[in-house]
Amino acid sequence: MSLIQLVDVTKKYDEVTALDHLSLSIEDKEYVCVLGPTGAGKTTLLRIIAGLLEPDEGKIYIAGILVNGLPPEERNAVYMFQQFALFPHMNVWQNVSFSPVIKDYQESRIKRLTLEILEMVKLADRRDAFPHELSGGMQQRVALARGIASGSRILLLDEPLGALDARLRVDLRAQLRKLAEDQELTTIHVTHDQEEALMIADRVVVIRKGKIEQMGTPHEIYTSPKSAFIMSFVGGANFFEGNVIKVDDSGSIIEILDRQKVHVSDISRNVGEKVVVAVRLEDIILGKVDGLESNIFSGMIKSTMFLGSSIEYVIKLDNGITVSSKRLISDAYKSQKPKEHVFVSFLPEKCYVFEYPKIGLLKEIEAI
Amino acid sequence: MILRLKRSITLSNLARWATLCALILFVLLPTFYLISYVFTRWDEVNYEVFANPIIGDENWRQIQQVLFFSFKLSLFTVAFDLIFGIPLAYILARKKFRGKSFLEDLITLPLVIPTSGFGFATLITWTTATGIGGIFGLQSGLISLDAVIPFLNIPFLVFIVHIALTFPYIVRTIATKFESIETTFETASRTLGANPLTTFRKILFPLSISGIFSGSVLAFARSLGETGATLIVSGVSSTASIAIVRWTSEFKLATASFMGSLLVVIAWLIILPIEVYLNKGSSFFSVPYRFPRTLSNWIVKFERFASRKFTHIKNFVPLFIVVITVLVPIVVVLNSVIFYWSGDPYTGKIQGGVLYQLFGPSNYFNSVLKATLTSLIVALTSTFIAMCIAIPLAFIIKRWWYGGVIRSVLKVPLIIPTSSLGLSVLLLWGSNGFNLVSSGIWLIILTHIVFSVPVIVESVIAAYEGSDIQMYEDSARTLGATAYNAIETVSLPLIKGGILTGFILSFTHSIGETGATFIVMGRDVTVPALVVNMVEALAIPAALFTSTYLIILSLILLAIIRLTTRR
Repeated sequence: MSLIQLVDVTKKYDEVTALDHLSLSIEDKEYVCVLGPTGAGKTTLLRIIAGLLEPDEGKIYIAGILVNGLPPEERNAVYMFQQFALFPHMNVWQNVSFSPVIKDYQESRIKRLTLEILEMVKLADRRDAFPHELSGGMQQRVALARGIASGSRILLLDEPLGALDARLRVDLRAQLRKLAEDQELTTIHVTHDQEEALMIADRVVVIRKGKIEQMGTPHEIYTSPKSAFIMSFVGGANFFEGNVIKVDDSGSIIEILDRQKVHVSDISRNVGEKVVVAVRLEDIILGKVDGLESNIFSGMIKSTMFLGSSIEYVIKLDNGITVSSKRLISDAYKSQKPKEHVFVSFLPEKCYVFEYPKIGLLKEIEAI
Repeated sequence: MILRLKRSITLSNLARWATLCALILFVLLPTFYLISYVFTRWDEVNYEVFANPIIGDENWRQIQQVLFFSFKLSLFTVAFDLIFGIPLAYILARKKFRGKSFLEDLITLPLVIPTSGFGFATLITWTTATGIGGIFGLQSGLISLDAVIPFLNIPFLVFIVHIALTFPYIVRTIATKFESIETTFETASRTLGANPLTTFRKILFPLSISGIFSGSVLAFARSLGETGATLIVSGVSSTASIAIVRWTSEFKLATASFMGSLLVVIAWLIILPIEVYLNKGSSFFSVPYRFPRTLSNWIVKFERFASRKFTHIKNFVPLFIVVITVLVPIVVVLNSVIFYWSGDPYTGKIQGGVLYQLFGPSNYFNSVLKATLTSLIVALTSTFIAMCIAIPLAFIIKRWWYGGVIRSVLKVPLIIPTSSLGLSVLLLWGSNGFNLVSSGIWLIILTHIVFSVPVIVESVIAAYEGSDIQMYEDSARTLGATAYNAIETVSLPLIKGGILTGFILSFTHSIGETGATFIVMGRDVTVPALVVNMVEALAIPAALFTSTYLIILSLILLAIIRLTTRR
């Protein structure tokens, strides 16, 4: 049975719908990342589970019990804020032992528990420090320790790494994941950072405008995106609009803009349908591929962006379309320069085909 | 689990309604009773003000005259405050220099000094040889009591006192607003080529317009309601607040209440649009028109020139004003006490000395002791009761949808002229209203609760908003604390500073309050009221001593404020 279950949950702020009939089940000990652009309703979702907000409609179950109307302290779900919300007037020890003290545990048990957890997050020697004396990473660990000490089985993380600098963020991802696993916690981790979500989660739930757009393992989300939005938001891609002009067993042919044809392996679309073709940046190859006869275009390099292990090229094709290509540094020896003429090609099996979005392609992928 | 939930909801509801009832009974009713009194006793008002068989509408003409004078005075005071207060606020917010905290204290001082003592200090400084006149070797004061500023037709001393007493509201409010605006905007403007003055006009000024407005509202209201100091320096002129005191003491209650209501209503008509504008949340200000290109070029050129040339004037003049209006009177009064200690320094008579007046036949020392006791009891009791109402109220304001309404209604006692407030309380609780309390110490306490509640509420709310209480409390709740637990262990300790500040502000305000107290005190005289009585009885040395005593008392309180607000 699922540990947390949301059924048809709706929440509106004045005119804005933050959650729109959203249903979601989360298993015990699962690590779920809720991914979505700013304003998608991620934080609202988390606050509703914690009991800090009540939904307008819908039901929330925790461990099979209906918890609508139950105050946050009875739900056993710890909410961790982006700014950590360490109580500024209490030191590390008092912060971490807050919940055991509130719950009136025995003195000796409070001591043992707090010390054990502080040692686990390697902060036992800073037990007398006040929050403002700690670095961002330490504050984050204290906040986590405080949550674990509460004995709750559910950890709700609202952008837990958002307030930290980039390097620390990457280091702490793995630590966070390991801690949740060791403590057998069920974790819901809200983030807008797709890389973070893909790396850390058992399951990723992408939400947009208060609705679930897609959910699945990180691998599924990346390799079989359900819409152009997911494709653009998770990983990014080149998009072309076009019409299907031929479908047979070997694949489909799609005519883009100015009568140029793109061959794709996907055969799920019908002739005449308006579609979007998407190709990942890393699947755009510079030069011609042996044996490939279609999907080859010529163009000129407009700009290059050095990313360390890879280089991103922006290429203006002769037909006016601009595409981006990301190449690993090892095969960029030729090191193309701006204004150079190049051929661009991509394999039919690397093309994704989506139904043309009702709100238009640009609106769909601008990530709101 | 559900059962417990229901019980705690009922309890918290009960507490909420009790607080709201106390608010209505102790704060709102006394504030608004005056206006309803005018309607219910319209016959009386009509008889006294408009159709008196003997003097006709003479009272009505007087009312118009003092109202006009009061509003003129307040408007010019605010204008003057703004011209010199904005540069000073800028210096305090953006510059670091030695003696900055001393300057801040000096500006704050008029907020905690009892106004009658301060008024007396000003009087001595300007009109007697013990003051500035003596420094220049004059046998009399630098100016006479009824000297008038040309063109404005405002008595010089009244103007000075009003500036000193309203200056802190303008400077502090605007400085706080400036501090809340990140310097990056200004830095960006400067790197984009704007000179300091242009940067101020284009960036800082529009961003802080809300602070400038709210500071002006506070200063305007303060000036309109000022009674204690004005009573002492006004001479023959009369402001609206003083007229209310005079008429009340002559038992012309109808005239006094009619005028008080007019004062409140007109003040509201001026302040309300500004409040509405501020509450709309539009913290930015855009000029709806654009200067012609040549003119704006000219302005920028002038600003560049002025930025270079006038910096020192801009820094020096406001400082000079603070020193001359605040520091000098206090020093003069302290000096005079020593001067007059054993006898009149000019005639040599011991009857004119501090010692003789305190311990001689008039035995003012006894009055001072008694008044001190009255003042302390009043201040402690009213502050305590006000805190019991104000702390829960601050939480209600932050948590409930009608909180905004309560908060803006609570502004009324802060801007209502103190003498109107005193009159209103007298009418409500006294023989003309509930007939429960007659003039005396209990009525003073009831009056002081009215303005103490908003003062405490505002400082608690400031602390509440300053440290994101909601987030900490939410955190505590998800960690297993009940709503009550969370308030006790997290919220209250976090806003402790705000509660303490509120307590001290309310306490000092209560100790120094003169205008309202004068109307409701009956025979229980407080210290500031005693100063007024002494000046009226021409017991100058005794008044000197009592003012000094009050000023030292408030300096100690100010030191405590400093210690508690600095962590």
